[in-house]
Amino acid sequence: MTMNLFEKIFNYQIMSRLEESGAFAVTSHERSWLRAMLDHPAAADAFTPETMAKLAAVLQAEADIDIAEHVMEKASSVERQVYHPLLRPLRRIIAERQGSRISYRLKHGGMQHEQSGFPYKLEYSMVKREWYLLWYHPRRHMFMSTRLRNIADVQQEEISPARAEELLSKIAAIIDSRKEHAVIEVIRIYNRELSRIMYAFSCFEKEVEYFDDTDTYRIRLTFMGDECEYILSKIRFLGKRVRIIEGEKLQRRMRESAAKTLARYGIGEEHDQLNGEEQRVIFDSSS
Amino acid sequence: MAKESFDKEIQFLRMLVLTSGAYSRQQFAQRLGISVHTFDKTIRRLKEIAHTVYQQLPHDQGQEFAETLRFNYYESADPMLLFLFRAKSLKESESYRLSVILAALQEQAKTAMELIDACSSQLPEEYPLPDEKTIRSDLKYLEDIGVIRKMKGGRPYRYSMRHDIVNELTDDELIDLYDFVDVMANTQVPSVQGYILRDNLKQALKLKEMDASMAEPFLYKYHYYSRILDEAHLYTLLQAIRERRKLSFLYFSPKARKKYASQNTNPLFQRETQGKQESVLPLKVVYDHQYGRWYLLGHTSRLGLMKYRMEGLTQVQAGEAVPEELFTRKLQELEERTRHSWLVDTGHPVRVRARFYNPEGARTNFIKERVLLQGQWGRIVEENNDSFLYEITVNGMMEIKPWLRSFGSSCEVLKPLKLRQELIDEWKEIQSYYDDEPVREDF
Repeated sequence: MTMNLFEKIFNYQIMSRLEESGAFAVTSHERSWLRAMLDHPAAADAFTPETMAKLAAVLQAEADIDIAEHVMEKASSVERQVYHPLLRPLRRIIAERQGSRISYRLKHGGMQHEQSGFPYKLEYSMVKREWYLLWYHPRRHMFMSTRLRNIADVQQEEISPARAEELLSKIAAIIDSRKEHAVIEVIRIYNRELSRIMYAFSCFEKEVEYFDDTDTYRIRLTFMGDECEYILSKIRFLGKRVRIIEGEKLQRRMRESAAKTLARYGIGEEHDQLNGEEQRVIFDSSS
Repeated sequence: MAKESFDKEIQFLRMLVLTSGAYSRQQFAQRLGISVHTFDKTIRRLKEIAHTVYQQLPHDQGQEFAETLRFNYYESADPMLLFLFRAKSLKESESYRLSVILAALQEQAKTAMELIDACSSQLPEEYPLPDEKTIRSDLKYLEDIGVIRKMKGGRPYRYSMRHDIVNELTDDELIDLYDFVDVMANTQVPSVQGYILRDNLKQALKLKEMDASMAEPFLYKYHYYSRILDEAHLYTLLQAIRERRKLSFLYFSPKARKKYASQNTNPLFQRETQGKQESVLPLKVVYDHQYGRWYLLGHTSRLGLMKYRMEGLTQVQAGEAVPEELFTRKLQELEERTRHSWLVDTGHPVRVRARFYNPEGARTNFIKERVLLQGQWGRIVEENNDSFLYEITVNGMMEIKPWLRSFGSSCEVLKPLKLRQELIDEWKEIQSYYDDEPVREDF
């Protein structure tokens, strides 16, 4: 049977009625998709061998959707990690709102041993194709982002529900207070490329304003301070199509970026002034 | 009745999401090529679906729909746009009947007659009682899509839910499955089936009173969440490729200002239609990670190899099949010509040579790390303490240029000279944008 994403059974009224009566319905389309995904090497880290065997048996009769044969992915980062064995224990600690004691390797060598902390999310970067543990370090009052591949050991550490509640609301408040804004304007002659430009910004939190009289678009981005570098790389990616019109830090960095790049090409006065500050941060993270 | 098309809804949601509330009703309608009345009708319908699916949404009618769909990273566990795929319209009586049947089967296997009884006791009075024929055709449909199975044994047949992927697993295994589906739907393409399965598993966990263990522990950074809108056409295209069938569609280049042409006979719409009717032998589908966009690559007898952005396809219909030999030949041709495409460019191959500068003072070489991660089939051909040389042969320079430019002063293009000069000119222009101290305009 042809896959149809607009199947009757997916209809919103059916869905909500099933939910009310405590029922659900899984189609062969979904099982075929799952079957295809189980072929991915990531599956080995996601399940115990027993679970894998059970799933394989249940799905064996489903149609093969041969997606890989007809779909080509381009300009993707090398997929070095989709799953990590630590996802299983860590997600359980997070779900149970427990604390953890983590030992991890530092980026530049050395180890941190048995640090007490409160993990609150597991974050996957589509750009770096890696998993990070986001956790709060109460003693140092710091937000940590640690690559799972650098974690040597994790133990659960008991904390009270009240303390967990307190930490979670504190984390939410701090995240909220650290949000920054910038306004990007689409240079009018590139309005024809609006679709491409909007796609490029569609992975950020944003609002768009349109000024009818001047036919101008402005994109107001909301982001965390440590995301500046990624935003800058996006803006350089789009080149002369966009201009930052609000956000002093980003503007200053673009000004520097332009001068230093031109200096690379032997243009401008800053031949010998490349101090590496701009570069350091291009692909850095808070890990 | 014509097959229900969701072109309007897809174009509508895409524009809504990409331009996040930039347009007034009139501007929005005009750009979509629909009347304000149709705009209002569409938004009412989409709102109703979204509110039914995401019951936590505030019911405030005054709230802007765009605001409702705004992407919020820390609350992005449920993909907002998924509700599009729940838009299939259905008669109230049919949706009730199917829900009653499925709810009844949830508890235990039943025969068609027992299901008729269930319907007569549970359907609201205003709906007609279904006859045996109707129930049998419902059961046939549910069996076809793999939701239920006819059990072994003699007549009268009993039907049961196909819940093996849930029933065979322990509670702990079910959590592993839920996580796996979540991770794969979010990191791989295509995703829609995975998101739908995720909704179902969520329901299964709720039934086991394991709500708390869902906890939504995962976040996915910089994924293009609007990509799932384009999947609406994906399976039609894949099916046509598999069957070596031509496709016809009305194509709207994303550079055109209008995104959609009504299929109605309203002469106003027809006059303003700018789309082009195309007939194509589909060969490959491409997903571009750089922008989160999908493409269809195919062959037309008039123009040869053609590339279409999935977002521009409307009124897609499968046509006649072509001989296997023709398909294979065209596919080979395509593979040959896209071998060096950074994305989908089939222009002349060019050798690009660029020097990347290692970060000074940083202890990890994140520049090299990024080149290795994203530089596709390019190679590092020479290296010293300060920099390294990267070489790649690509079709045309257009598609790789933004990537090279995104490195700022860490990348110096050496060859071709034309590309080098273009980058110099662009950086001069970019510099001019920031020359003066920022001017703040009064609003």
